Amino acid sequence: MGAWHNADGTLDPVKVRAEYPIFKTQPGGRPLHYLDSAATAQRPQRVVDAVSKFLFTANANPHRGAYTLAQMATDGYEAARARIATYLNVPANELVMLGSATEALNLVARSWGKANLRRGDVVLVTEAEHHANLIPWQQITREMDADLEFIPVDDVTGEILWDRLDTLMKLKPKMVAIAHVSNVLGSIAPLKEIAAAAHAVGALVTVDGCQAVANMPVSIPDTGADFYAFSAHKMGGLYAGGGLWARADLLDAMAPIEHGGDMIHSVRLRDADFTTGTQRFEAGTPDASGAVALAAACDLLDEFGREQIHAHEALMIERVIRELPEALPDARILGPRDLQKRAGVVAFSSELIHAHDLAEILDRRGVAIRAGFHCAQPLHEQLELSSSARVSVAPYTTHEDLDALFVGLREARKVFEG
Amino acid sequence: MGGMDDLYREQILEHHRRPHNQGTLTAPSVSLEGRNPNCGDVINLQLQLDEAGIITDVAFMGRGCAISQAGTSLITDELRGKSAAEILALTSPFVMELLGVEVGPTRIHCALLGLETAQKAIASLSSK
Repeated sequence: MGAWHNADGTLDPVKVRAEYPIFKTQPGGRPLHYLDSAATAQRPQRVVDAVSKFLFTANANPHRGAYTLAQMATDGYEAARARIATYLNVPANELVMLGSATEALNLVARSWGKANLRRGDVVLVTEAEHHANLIPWQQITREMDADLEFIPVDDVTGEILWDRLDTLMKLKPKMVAIAHVSNVLGSIAPLKEIAAAAHAVGALVTVDGCQAVANMPVSIPDTGADFYAFSAHKMGGLYAGGGLWARADLLDAMAPIEHGGDMIHSVRLRDADFTTGTQRFEAGTPDASGAVALAAACDLLDEFGREQIHAHEALMIERVIRELPEALPDARILGPRDLQKRAGVVAFSSELIHAHDLAEILDRRGVAIRAGFHCAQPLHEQLELSSSARVSVAPYTTHEDLDALFVGLREARKVFEG
Repeated sequence: MGGMDDLYREQILEHHRRPHNQGTLTAPSVSLEGRNPNCGDVINLQLQLDEAGIITDVAFMGRGCAISQAGTSLITDELRGKSAAEILALTSPFVMELLGVEVGPTRIHCALLGLETAQKAIASLSSK
């Protein structure tokens, strides 16, 4: 194995940390214990180096100039697209580079939805969806007079009740939109089974892959998805970046929702013809530097090994779930107990300490966790929670990070128990 | 105990555990729900005003972080006997003084939830 692993082939987070300069800093004068990678991952040195190199040696407007440098910019951008496509095991000509996963999900809802949804049609989502995979469907179903229906969650554990799918499929949905990994519950959706059930009634499947692509092996063709959205910054890329994979025939049939330069074949004063393929959905100058950054992040994640990342994160999550009840006896852990069904995050609530107070007290030890709804307010309402605390892990998460978490949890408990 | 901590001092924790003016009024002049969209703090605040526009009674029910609930508890203690105009003139430093601590930018919305909800409730009355 490479420079990032132990002798037994497992990932060594201490070696991994050396690649992330943020851990040499001390925000607020304290060592950083970053447990919020599900919100955004830390950035590797090589990602920023790749951006610098690209901008200092190959900077011109891609897809335009007739000179050598412009061709270098185009080549850099398209090579990055190809690299990202390889990472997800899809053809590059089916990968649309966009500003965010949110933009990708909005593109599917607004373009595919507008062309395909009719009055009374059903779009099926889970009650646990991130707002980015909920609100676009709320909007388009309202606009098209279609119906939004929900795969429910268990009122206590929050687990998504996939066994209701058979019944819900009798509604003959046109679209099933779900997260690959829930950003609150940490649960991995059984995508193959869901896609098979959806396809059997003629529905397409949109997958929000934000919490999966950096945390476990993902081969999009094996998921059964028809659309798959992901975010760059959760993989170690830059803030503004994301993408949408869609089957070529679906992409070809979709109308762009943004119009401008770089997506046209020819333009007259009163109308225009659009280019074919992914470029139709990338109006304006593309974020080539962001694509280059994400390609470098993909290289690094592959060097870590995605099986190894998943195994390391499972180890960290297992410890959080195991030790939490002792540190905070009234903690209510959300999501499945079966670690095989989990990836990356664990959220919990406490009647004793509100998540925001907990986050504040942990911050004093340099422990960064997320508190609130995590962009999944309806899920929290379903569970009658006013918020939850979320710990999320990454290849650079160490046992020392979790030690600091548990010391902080005990301290917080002491403050609130009085 | 709260000794380790400037923010979670005993006074704040005490107001969080046993908020003052908790409950509902039988005949409120106005009721308003106040929410912190990011954290999920929520309060239902009720005010009773006399004909001169003076607050005669106040009550609230809420759930959320200690800062939001203590901030609301503390501000509700201050409202009785004040006129609508006096309450509308209250600002953030007044709440900070009640809390006895300067709340940072990440928690300021929690601290001000009670005051802002009271001000919105009063504003909604005068616009009727």
